[in-house]
Amino acid sequence: MNATREASTLTPPAGGAGTRTAGAGAARLVGFLLLGLLALALAMLASVVFGARTTSLGDVFATLTGDADDYVATVVESRYPRTALGVLAGASLAVAGTLMQGITRNPLADPGLLGVNAGASAGVVTATAFLGAGGQSGAVWWALPGALLAGLLVYAIGSAGASTGLVRLVLAGAVVSAVLAAYIQLVTLSKPLVFDSYRYWVVGALGGRPMEIFWTALPFAAVGLAMAVLVSGGLNTLALGDDSAHALGANPTAIRAGGLIAATLLAASATASVGPIAFVGLAVPHIVRAVVGIDFRLQLAFSALFGPTLLLLADVIGRVVMRPSELMVGVVTAFVGAPVLLYAVRRMRGTA
Amino acid sequence: MTATVERARGARPRGMVVIGRRLALPVSRAALLAGVGTVLALVVASVATLSMGRLGVPLSELPTALTGGAEGKTLFVLDRLRGPRLVVAIAAGAAFGISGALFQSVTRNPLGSPDVIGLGAGAGAGAAVVALKMPEGVPVSLGALIGAAAAVTLVYFSTGSGFRDPGRLIVAGIGVAAIAIAITQYVVYAVERERAIALTAYVNGSLAARSWDDAREIGLALLVLLPLTLALARRLDIGEMGDEIAAALGAEPKRTRSRAVLLSVLLSAAAISVAGPIAFIALTAPQIARRLTGGWGAHLVLSALLGSLLLVLADLAAQQLPLDDMPVGIYTMAIGGIYLGYLLTREWRRGRL
Repeated sequence: MNATREASTLTPPAGGAGTRTAGAGAARLVGFLLLGLLALALAMLASVVFGARTTSLGDVFATLTGDADDYVATVVESRYPRTALGVLAGASLAVAGTLMQGITRNPLADPGLLGVNAGASAGVVTATAFLGAGGQSGAVWWALPGALLAGLLVYAIGSAGASTGLVRLVLAGAVVSAVLAAYIQLVTLSKPLVFDSYRYWVVGALGGRPMEIFWTALPFAAVGLAMAVLVSGGLNTLALGDDSAHALGANPTAIRAGGLIAATLLAASATASVGPIAFVGLAVPHIVRAVVGIDFRLQLAFSALFGPTLLLLADVIGRVVMRPSELMVGVVTAFVGAPVLLYAVRRMRGTA
Repeated sequence: MTATVERARGARPRGMVVIGRRLALPVSRAALLAGVGTVLALVVASVATLSMGRLGVPLSELPTALTGGAEGKTLFVLDRLRGPRLVVAIAAGAAFGISGALFQSVTRNPLGSPDVIGLGAGAGAGAAVVALKMPEGVPVSLGALIGAAAAVTLVYFSTGSGFRDPGRLIVAGIGVAAIAIAITQYVVYAVERERAIALTAYVNGSLAARSWDDAREIGLALLVLLPLTLALARRLDIGEMGDEIAAALGAEPKRTRSRAVLLSVLLSAAAISVAGPIAFIALTAPQIARRLTGGWGAHLVLSALLGSLLLVLADLAAQQLPLDDMPVGIYTMAIGGIYLGYLLTREWRRGRL
């Protein structure tokens, strides 16, 4: 968790270590890839099987082939939207986190900590309260500009003066989030109907949302993912330092800006569709780096694989612990993620 | 560390204010001026709180009304509506202010305050759990106290170094606050709308509908905690010079530090129990106090006065702005957030912090 040590793990190792990754690491990577795919498939299956009324694997297959009776088919099919949303939001959040941590070289960077969530919330609240935006799918369009503005503001405040440090960005995020939170509370408390739709959205849940939201969020997430893929090579170059990157013909400013915009698009589309969900964007990049090392192209690919798995598993946990009612996935990730953060704090050396 | 020593040395020779033969306070002229100015501003803000608006007591009637000549509508406004509310605002603001000053002094972290380490979020979660599980039996404020205590304990033990390291403290605070906020949001989601709105107002920190019981509660807490704080003040001043010097002077730095943190948490918790977790007063009041005096002397007293002033002003805004009595915590959150942002960018630009 320590800033300098993390920064060094983000920089490509010289010579020997690099060739080792290329040689013996390839088989290992394929192994991890297959494991990751298997885990994701299992998580998706679990997401369709478990719930207030647990169905069996047989029921799921019967539904898929069209042989199930109407009741079972309805139950199973009602879990499709949340599974699809879980995959999309999980991948978006994890990739956004990986981009943020890579660009800011800050192991604590997470769209949620950096004000993007508050910005998205403020956008949604503004739209529902003043611009007459109704329905959940319309919210996506308003979450994006809010998130983008908030992200830019945090970055501007956090990078005032010399460099962007770890504590600095977090504090700037806290400042922007506080002011936006005040605005959100003011608006929601004075308009009971807005308050109602806001409290159901802000808790962060995959369930109870129509498939329509998935289709609205998909284009934004797709653009964000495409941009992430485009800048990933550049991020590898950037890790060598700005001077070397320049010498290699890369444009550090453009790469960083592209990466931050991609991260904000991804985080905002995920937040708009399922509400603010903490810790997925923070934790997945750390797991991924431990598995695949420093190559950003691999990090992004594996984030897109691990993120959905983690989010879907959290959602399934939330569905079974309080049956027949359920715990929202945002609550589950906070309860799982925060202790990990608290554990990591002990390993910070001195003031970061 | 050197800077602290220099600052302390710089503040001392500026003078003492001698009262009578026995009492000499190490207060600089700047601190005295700032203190008098703050008291005057506080009086003006209090009078405005009592007299502004549709139900306000007109200025000409205020002196008679306050000296016992109130009756009818005026009595109702003073005795039921605005009087207790104003007293609670002054007392809770002072408690928050001292709490922040103690915390910042002891952690040597100018941004430290019980806000940052999850005290407020924990109080909110405690209140929410009580509201969900035991809506009848247990008062919400007791739940807030328990939640606050739990959050602070969790932060203390998870940093592995107590309250010493600002960086760790902030990150651990974020983690604990995340859990607490998740709990609060779940409860706000799970209960029906009316209770959810009431709970949200409480969690933001509100002074609406305070009674003399609340005023007595916070008054009693201050009566117990203020003398303890003042008794500790001198050791705290010495503690600012660094652990070695403090130890050499017999100030027992470690014991002083843990006592001060305990007092800070207790003061904040007392304020929270009557006013809810109002954001940023504990953080901003000591900051402004230090900027007004430029030193450490009389820091606690000025922080208390400024805390009162800030909260009374914010509550005046909450009562008089045309937004039907929003929780005062919303205003302090907005203003405190903007002030903190300004402070941070300025310090960073100068290369400090």
